[in-house]
Amino acid sequence: MKIKLAVWAIALTAGFGVTTAQAEEFAVGSVISLTGANARGGSGMHEGIMTAVEVFNRQQSKHKIKLVTIDDESAPAKAIAGVEQLASQNVVAITGGATSDLVGPASTAANKLGLVYITSGGTSEELISQGYKKFFRINNTSGYVHAMTGMFSDMGIKSLSIIYSTKKSTNELAVDVDKIMTAKGVKVTLHPFDPAITDFKPILNKVRLQDRPDAINMLGYENDYVGILRAAKVLKPNVKALVGVWQIANAKMAGDFPDLVPNVSGTEILPYPVAFSTAEGKLFETTFKALYHKSPDYLGEYGFVQSMALFEAIARAADKGSLKKGGLADEMRKTDRDTLIGRLQFNDKGDNPNFIQHIGQHQGGKIVIVWPKEFATGKMNFPGVPW
Amino acid sequence: MKQYRWMYLAVAAVVLYVLVPLLLGGNLYLMSLVVASLTIGGIALAWALLGNLGGMVSFGQAAFFGVGSYVSALLTLKFGLPVLPAMLLGGVGASLASLAMLPALRLKGPYFALAILAYAQIFRILAMEFRGVTGGAGGLSGIPQLPTVFGFDLSAKVGGYLVILSIVVVFLWIYYLIRKSYYGLALKAMHESEDATRVVGVNSTLLKAMMLLVSAFMTGMVGAFNTHYINFLEPDYAFGSSWTVIPIIAAIFGGYRTIFGPLAGAVAIYMIDQLIFKNLIPNGHQIILGVLLVLMIIFCPSGLVPVLVEKFKGKTHAEA
Amino acid sequence: MSELILQSLYSGLLAGGSYALIALGLALVFGTMKIINLAHGELVLLAAYIAYMAESMLKINPLLAIPLALIVVCLASVIVYFLVSKIVKDRELNSLLLTYGVGIVLTNAILLIWKSDIHSTSNEWFQQSLVLGSLYSMNSEVTFFVVSLVLIVLVWLWLSKSWYGRAVRAVASNRDAAKLMGINPRWTELISFVLSGVLATFAGVALYSYGVIQPELGSALTVKAFIITVLAGAGSIPGVLLGAVLLGVVEALTTTMFSSALQELTGMLLFLLVLFVLPNGLFGANRRRG
Repeated sequence: MKIKLAVWAIALTAGFGVTTAQAEEFAVGSVISLTGANARGGSGMHEGIMTAVEVFNRQQSKHKIKLVTIDDESAPAKAIAGVEQLASQNVVAITGGATSDLVGPASTAANKLGLVYITSGGTSEELISQGYKKFFRINNTSGYVHAMTGMFSDMGIKSLSIIYSTKKSTNELAVDVDKIMTAKGVKVTLHPFDPAITDFKPILNKVRLQDRPDAINMLGYENDYVGILRAAKVLKPNVKALVGVWQIANAKMAGDFPDLVPNVSGTEILPYPVAFSTAEGKLFETTFKALYHKSPDYLGEYGFVQSMALFEAIARAADKGSLKKGGLADEMRKTDRDTLIGRLQFNDKGDNPNFIQHIGQHQGGKIVIVWPKEFATGKMNFPGVPW
Repeated sequence: MKQYRWMYLAVAAVVLYVLVPLLLGGNLYLMSLVVASLTIGGIALAWALLGNLGGMVSFGQAAFFGVGSYVSALLTLKFGLPVLPAMLLGGVGASLASLAMLPALRLKGPYFALAILAYAQIFRILAMEFRGVTGGAGGLSGIPQLPTVFGFDLSAKVGGYLVILSIVVVFLWIYYLIRKSYYGLALKAMHESEDATRVVGVNSTLLKAMMLLVSAFMTGMVGAFNTHYINFLEPDYAFGSSWTVIPIIAAIFGGYRTIFGPLAGAVAIYMIDQLIFKNLIPNGHQIILGVLLVLMIIFCPSGLVPVLVEKFKGKTHAEA
Repeated sequence: MSELILQSLYSGLLAGGSYALIALGLALVFGTMKIINLAHGELVLLAAYIAYMAESMLKINPLLAIPLALIVVCLASVIVYFLVSKIVKDRELNSLLLTYGVGIVLTNAILLIWKSDIHSTSNEWFQQSLVLGSLYSMNSEVTFFVVSLVLIVLVWLWLSKSWYGRAVRAVASNRDAAKLMGINPRWTELISFVLSGVLATFAGVALYSYGVIQPELGSALTVKAFIITVLAGAGSIPGVLLGAVLLGVVEALTTTMFSSALQELTGMLLFLLVLFVLPNGLFGANRRRG
């Protein structure tokens, strides 16, 4: 009897020894737009996710993340199919989703299959009202809206013209900004434009001659900003500030279009040159540069943050033994850590209640964070225009 | 000979309705692909029908697809209609929309093709603008799923497969009937010489219009199916150009002059593209489709399937 | 208000000039061979990307990229002609589908080579504003408007006065008769395609200089070019300029008087209107030959 016990004990410890010596591997799926209309946003996020995989696997040896990526080609049907394929390959969770149009169907599919889904591309309000228990996101529309309206209030402007693309996310932003600023007694004029438009002079002319606002809010994407700013430089409306939202206050725009962006602001979490002050930030930057030979931008940052949160939750759930029993979602909800975008938590709807964007302004080829005061790295140039 | 035909059809029915769900039903990913390819197949069929029987090539099937999607979604969301009848009405809605295209019927080939393209764009922009009705750029959410019929949950993957399969089968049958009928004969003759048929008393414009309505109905109904299956609707998605392009490539690949060609082409093209090409060139594997289209037009404009069928027939003949 | 309208007329005029440049190549091939090259927009885009490559790698003015772009785009154009000439039957329809396939190949090739980032010129002079009274524009827009005019006049002169030009028109009018007269139709068709490539090159370099380029732009360009070709009516070169300007002005006026969300809509409606009411285009009737 004693010998049997001993044998069992030895076998068990040997078994344990074997498992702890090897790293436990976890397959994580990524359904993301690497081609198609959202290729830019999708590839950016992808790079961040890959960086997170690298960083996470290197900094500890107990849990190894294996990323399986599927291109959804910016098509909802393929996003759904991608989620299903990954589910059949037994991934433990799904990350990805470049824009709200794709996050909707993909998260629905993930929900049907009982998989945790985390994204930084699903900012639409309706995504958290679907009641999915395993849906998580690190950013949302209101974070962007509050940053812009907060800064407008601090500027003390009396009138605002919003030039916005009729695409879904920018449309939402416009409606929200309009509501908030009008409630503050600011005169707001709306100018929607079809995404296919390239000549913005007629719109800018209307703004210049009819609205005569204190500030212009540009809600669009890279190509829209170039068009709007070019038209503005030609027509020179008498405004005190030009504020965009995403894709404007970054190094790429400063580098590619240095004459168009001086004093233009946009929503941006970190300044440029990126001065990561935390150890994690520095690690992120060096790893990203090593992988992609370029400086990271906000897309990569988001991808990194969402993935690290996911991987850490996976590790915790695995250690507790609840991973296979569907305990990942609960672990996700226990997330509370400081990240590159600020404090990250998830409420019961899966939203990050702490998310607030910062406003960065192009000053002298750099991006200076000018709002809110707590995160500012410099003073706002107000009034300030590119001409 | 006719006996054999019925046997083939019966075997095919068993395979498609029973074996496929049994064997593949567990593999959700594969089933997704099959459903998507059948959706494309339905559109390809409608496109080929318009081309063959109506003599009109259209570059804007997306217009009908989108209208059908929106009509069905709105009827179920805002008016509480049950899903399956709403799908039918989606097709009807698309037909009604095609009435706006009647003036285009007297246009020649490429002009008609691109006029329909213009309509697709117009419908898309209208869907964006009429925010109150269509939800604008945000589209519609919370669209009801396919219902549970006789205790069978159609919103499940297999259910969706059976629905689109049935839709496509019915379309094939309609296509076959039209072709066989008096109208079919008249349309074929019209294809040869429009003037001659007019002399004989065939109202070619009326026939063409009817084919447009039928093609629109079919595409619209497929659009309606898709919206309840994917539960997602937005102007850019519903009127997207891929609903026009991929069915055309599929129909040409499969041989657009035959009844089964477009369908076979759609399934083949979609599956091969997603299962093989996508893994070869993850970024931009559509390039292979483009090359394929070019090669097909040059070497077998009647499609690959008829060529294979010929070879097969040739073999059996030789044996006989 | 009148200032607004004047500015939009001016903006529309300049935009029309650039549109005309883009459409001319397509109109030429369509007029002479009754073939619609649905890959035309992609050829224009290809030239634009070559201008980008030249500017970003060699740091030269985009205009200097024209020789290289000419070579590449004309070569591509010749390849398209070669493929089209291999079509056995139903040339009108099959060429539509074939060139559509070529367009897909080119768009994806551009995506593979240059990725999906947007690009535009960083040349300062091009972006500077040019103010005439109360009318505003960019230097690049005015420059390429002039270039467009010059090219249109040259092409028109070439078609009506030169031997090759008249040969092209003869073949367009009646292929067999032209053959009997000793003209080799294959050569003239090839020339049309090459010329179309030349025009596409200028249009592409212009596009890079005043606008923003990305891989998906190809098909939108083709559609615009076709709309203008229809507006002009087959075979009318001056019609292309006028049709393009009409489109540009209508778009600009829509934006100013209504909303720019509807800009694309008016373009499409104008297109359909002309198709239904004036099937020969605005100017086609003048040049109908037997």
